[in-house]
Amino acid sequence: MTKAAVTCLLIVLLALQTETAYAELVVVTGPKSGVEHLTQQEVIFLYMGRWRMLPSGLPAMPIDLAIDSPERADFYRRLVNKEPSEIKAYWSRLVFSGGSRPPYATENREELIRLIHNNPGAIGYLDRSQVDSRLRIVFEFPATP
Amino acid sequence: MRCWLLSACFGLTLFSGSGMAEMETPESRFELSGFGTLGVAQTDTNKVRFIRDQTQPEGIGNKLDARTDSLIGLQAYFRATDSLEFVTQAISRYGPHDDFRPEISWAFAKYAINSNNLVLRGGRLGMELYMLADSRHVGYSYLTVRPPVDFFGLLAFHYIDGADLVGTMPIGEGVLKIKGFAGQANELAPIGNDFLSLRGNPMYGMYADYQEGHWQWRATYAQMTFKHDLPPPIATLQAGLYATNIPSAAATANSMALTDTTSRFYSLGAVYDKGPLLVQAMLSQVEHESHIYENTQAGYLITGYRVGELTPFAAYSWSKSKSRHLSSGLPDIPPFAPLNTGLQGVQGRVHTDQHTYTLGSRWDFRRNAALKAQVDFIRGKPESVFLYPGASPGQFDGKMNVYSLALDFVF
Repeated sequence: MTKAAVTCLLIVLLALQTETAYAELVVVTGPKSGVEHLTQQEVIFLYMGRWRMLPSGLPAMPIDLAIDSPERADFYRRLVNKEPSEIKAYWSRLVFSGGSRPPYATENREELIRLIHNNPGAIGYLDRSQVDSRLRIVFEFPATP
Repeated sequence: MRCWLLSACFGLTLFSGSGMAEMETPESRFELSGFGTLGVAQTDTNKVRFIRDQTQPEGIGNKLDARTDSLIGLQAYFRATDSLEFVTQAISRYGPHDDFRPEISWAFAKYAINSNNLVLRGGRLGMELYMLADSRHVGYSYLTVRPPVDFFGLLAFHYIDGADLVGTMPIGEGVLKIKGFAGQANELAPIGNDFLSLRGNPMYGMYADYQEGHWQWRATYAQMTFKHDLPPPIATLQAGLYATNIPSAAATANSMALTDTTSRFYSLGAVYDKGPLLVQAMLSQVEHESHIYENTQAGYLITGYRVGELTPFAAYSWSKSKSRHLSSGLPDIPPFAPLNTGLQGVQGRVHTDQHTYTLGSRWDFRRNAALKAQVDFIRGKPESVFLYPGASPGQFDGKMNVYSLALDFVF
């Protein structure tokens, strides 16, 4: 029983690994954000709560995907080369010392797209294949060698 | 005060209702969360007792003990409007009263005067006397089992009742943050079976912090003015010195007084954080106007490197104080001899001169929990006893190993 469960888990993990390895994440805003392009440093500042304002002057609203989503783990690995546990430790320090708050975590991609549609300062990340005309790509990770 | 805050909060909630219509803010308005540590530790000697910081009246010896590091904290967060938040946090830990009685560690209103550029907080605030000093209880947020004792162990306070103002602005490729704070320390510091009251002690401070790329730099200045004096045996000794009616003895007693003297805290901190590699270094200089405490320099360096779920780390820390060589000017004959002995004893107990090598590992074995194991090799002079409650010089040889295991979690 346990063995079967572990095998199952391994298969799922492998599947996730494969998915993340092939996903190409891009950072997006809505068309009214006033932002054409962000640098990686700017994306880091927005997502790590150091500076929450878009270069256009709008208050930024960074949005995370759900805590379990492989895209989320992949996003932070590519952004700051950190594991989900390290990101959690980082926010624990700030949340329990009255600092800035972590990005809002959406339930799913549809909610993310809806939030971006309704908030000009909203910013999110998605696989490139899910980007449609309602979204504008403002940052692409440099190709991994 | 509380009433006023509540009504202000209520008023602002109503007021903000209309303005928020066009912007959708999905975040929950109310959030309960918490953190904790289940930790055991023991040393290899019973000659002196090891504590985490000066707020713990009793330390641990060569038997496993859960008091040093175990704690639990609960936090309530309420967002009244986009620019007004309230946070209250209570912590139960082994503290000044020799028990785990819970205490309100944070209780403040946070108002964003200008989006996130300028933020005002008022109420009870964690004291950011040194970088990271305001999150010392959140074990899950750092690598080691506890903040380096040579550095943070010298402190006897955790919060101020007052206000702080933080300005943030992008400069160059990085972000500059300037914070000023003012308020009162309101805690009690255990001294033997008695307390030094810090109630109403005015505290001020400020820091400048710059973050760019993988680096973070911080310079901090803070000061506290004492409003109370030390309890016996120091009070008794002072009374004895005054009673001699000899000017030199009275002058020494005067110089040992704490009331209306100021202690100043200077510190520099740097962090290099690049993916799996973390390096953190801090230096501090503490200067006391009162001659009852010795001016102290302390510092530490921690480095860790994550490998999968494990993050092994190594640290070096030290603290060194400068002896004052107080003298009563009284001859070493009866009835003065006991006063001279007492004076020497009092001075001996405030000296520190030690360094610590630390090796350990953090294991992020599951979400929101980490297990840590650590060994501290404390190597000091036999006179280095300030960090051990009730200890006198020569009571041990200055060497001590501390073995610690801790489970840190957040929820």
